[in-house]
Amino acid sequence: MPQLGESMAEATIVAIKVQPGDKVSADQEIIEVETDKAVMGVTTPCAGEISKIEAEVKGTYAVGTVLGYIEASEADAGRFQKRAPQPSKDDVAKEVPGREEESTNLVRTENGSGSHFQVDEAGLPPVAAGSHFQVDQAGVLPVPAGTKGAGYSSPRVRARMAELQLTQADLAGIAGSGNAGRVTIKDLENFLGTIERQPAEKPSAIRTGVADAMRRSWTRPLATVGLSLSLDPVLEDRKRRDPKPGPALYALRALALALAEQPNAAARLIGGRVIRSESIDLGVAVEAQDGIMVPVIRKADQTSLADLTSRYAELVDLARRRRLTADMTSGGIASISNFGSFGLDWGTPIPLPDQTLLLGLGVGKKVPFWDEKKGAFVPRTEAQMTLSFDHRSLDGGGAGRLLKRIVELLGEPTKL
Amino acid sequence: MSVTYLEAIREAQTYLLREDERVFIYGQDIAGKFGGAFKATKGLAEQFPGRVLNTPISEDAMVGTAIGAAMEGMRPIVEMQFADFSSIALNQILNNAGTQYWRTQTPCPITVRLPSGGTKGSGPFHSQSMEGIYSHYPGLVVLTPATVEDAYTMLIDAVAIDDPVIYCEHKYLYYHLKANALPKDKLPIGKARVVRPGRDLSIVTNSAMVHEALAVAQQFSADGIEIEVVDLRSVKPLDTDTVLASVARTGRLLCVGEAFPWGGVTAEVIARVASEGFHLLDAAPARINAKDTPIPYHPNLWSEHRPNAKTIAAKARQVLAE
Repeated sequence: MPQLGESMAEATIVAIKVQPGDKVSADQEIIEVETDKAVMGVTTPCAGEISKIEAEVKGTYAVGTVLGYIEASEADAGRFQKRAPQPSKDDVAKEVPGREEESTNLVRTENGSGSHFQVDEAGLPPVAAGSHFQVDQAGVLPVPAGTKGAGYSSPRVRARMAELQLTQADLAGIAGSGNAGRVTIKDLENFLGTIERQPAEKPSAIRTGVADAMRRSWTRPLATVGLSLSLDPVLEDRKRRDPKPGPALYALRALALALAEQPNAAARLIGGRVIRSESIDLGVAVEAQDGIMVPVIRKADQTSLADLTSRYAELVDLARRRRLTADMTSGGIASISNFGSFGLDWGTPIPLPDQTLLLGLGVGKKVPFWDEKKGAFVPRTEAQMTLSFDHRSLDGGGAGRLLKRIVELLGEPTKL
Repeated sequence: MSVTYLEAIREAQTYLLREDERVFIYGQDIAGKFGGAFKATKGLAEQFPGRVLNTPISEDAMVGTAIGAAMEGMRPIVEMQFADFSSIALNQILNNAGTQYWRTQTPCPITVRLPSGGTKGSGPFHSQSMEGIYSHYPGLVVLTPATVEDAYTMLIDAVAIDDPVIYCEHKYLYYHLKANALPKDKLPIGKARVVRPGRDLSIVTNSAMVHEALAVAQQFSADGIEIEVVDLRSVKPLDTDTVLASVARTGRLLCVGEAFPWGGVTAEVIARVASEGFHLLDAAPARINAKDTPIPYHPNLWSEHRPNAKTIAAKARQVLAE
């Protein structure tokens, strides 16, 4: 089983196109295998005759496993041997008894060290002895000589971090002086000494809470996509409503309706399971003193815009007075951040750690917009809308479809 | 005036025979003109008639007799010719002496002196360090003095202790090690001593290896690396507090022992630090012992078989580099 891709560890046999006795040419595709990425072909290392196939269809084999044997002429095998690592004489003697005495000019192309069909284009390049990174050609995992490089925290460093409630993120500013750049206890103490001499104050509870949530969220692969939209229909619709919802509430309602159509977009991936929520409960980021609070509006898809507006006003009031209870801020499946209220066009806000999605809304600005029908630029109020997502659960396409649907819904705000 | 390690042992016995009439010494060829294989009792038989007694060549009988005497209220000191041969008396020491108080509530205050450790050209039967074996068994106290002062005070303390005491005196130190005078004060049994303060690495060791460790510490000091050297003194009881306090200061531990590597004192120290002081460690604790083969006769082989300043330094560098 050749190494057909950098991250490939094993592959499953899809088809075997030859059988024992078949003549094959060099680089002929004889076995099809499927990895987690693609279906690929295993090719012959040299011309010859298939003597034995050991692999079975639907079987999964690790890289380096012998799939079969080819009998080749000395000349053909010789061409292959130039590319393959040479077995030691002792190994060959053990592996092929009586080889020295054999009068036939046929040699088997396997070698004593567990050689396999070598595919030099896709396989790893041979590494000269003394090269910087030693790669084992036989597919055996190299055993690390030591694991105490930059990523290593000794028991003592970990205990000290726990004592001071430090996280790895807090240590980002320390250049480790230990082996391979690891942070030793002395580096940590020196760093703490430096910090000690600088002015400091205790962070508020809300700051600590936000810091913790953001740090936890950042352990995931997060990505952001964006789209511009016209706010004019929303602004027009708003004039006719009482109470008057802000643009962020229109966006919230549109997000709720879009999620009702595409519920998988907000699913969470935990372990090997896709976790969906039964209720479209959405959070709204509210800037309170010294931090952000995210109260949750329940069943936003089943709540009219008018009800959303009054519920939102209540929650904002509670948030600013620090009267939100834990159950008012938990259980959301996605949230919205109106960073436009800070005059910002664009951002990559971070979803809450227990949510996959965060919808961001930038500031509305009058811009010239090319109108195809009129054949002229017309003024329109435009805002940028972003969707940040956990890339484990959702891809750019899925995020894009959801965002497009939200923008579409905001184009007809009377229906919201 | 100067006192050697061996003279300190003789002086301690003189003191004990003079001050405590319950004390007598029992051993092979220790009375008369010979005065023992290493002359640790030279002159004592004349000075204290009837109290320094020759025994048959039977370690088993020697310890058994001493146990009986101890039961009758005596404080016997048994001299083994070499620590290696105390294995012949293992049954008496481990099964009888070690368990006696626990079985009968009658104490067993015997002291067994083991001339221990290697010297050049002594070979497999005259070089071994036995403290690991004796420490394994309950009921025994095991002492390994590394200095002239400790050799003196710890032997006097050993006789005063109501439990059987295995007193491991190092033969390499007998003549090499000298002090100006006998000590006036002492550290109690069961307390380790920080022989040299440091901040970068703790070397925890005992007996003759203390001096090898000090040589290494001296050498590293020139490069600005300060090694703390802890002399365990008594391996049972083991002063875990002093060891942990040292590791707390340095974050790194290297244990050095002249005994064989499998189990033993260095393993015990590392096990305790790993379980009680894991959070103090900034590097994996390391140890260095004699090689896991019988002790070679040839002086060059012997020098490489036991840990020496060169191999300890190499190991120390490894722990410091981690």
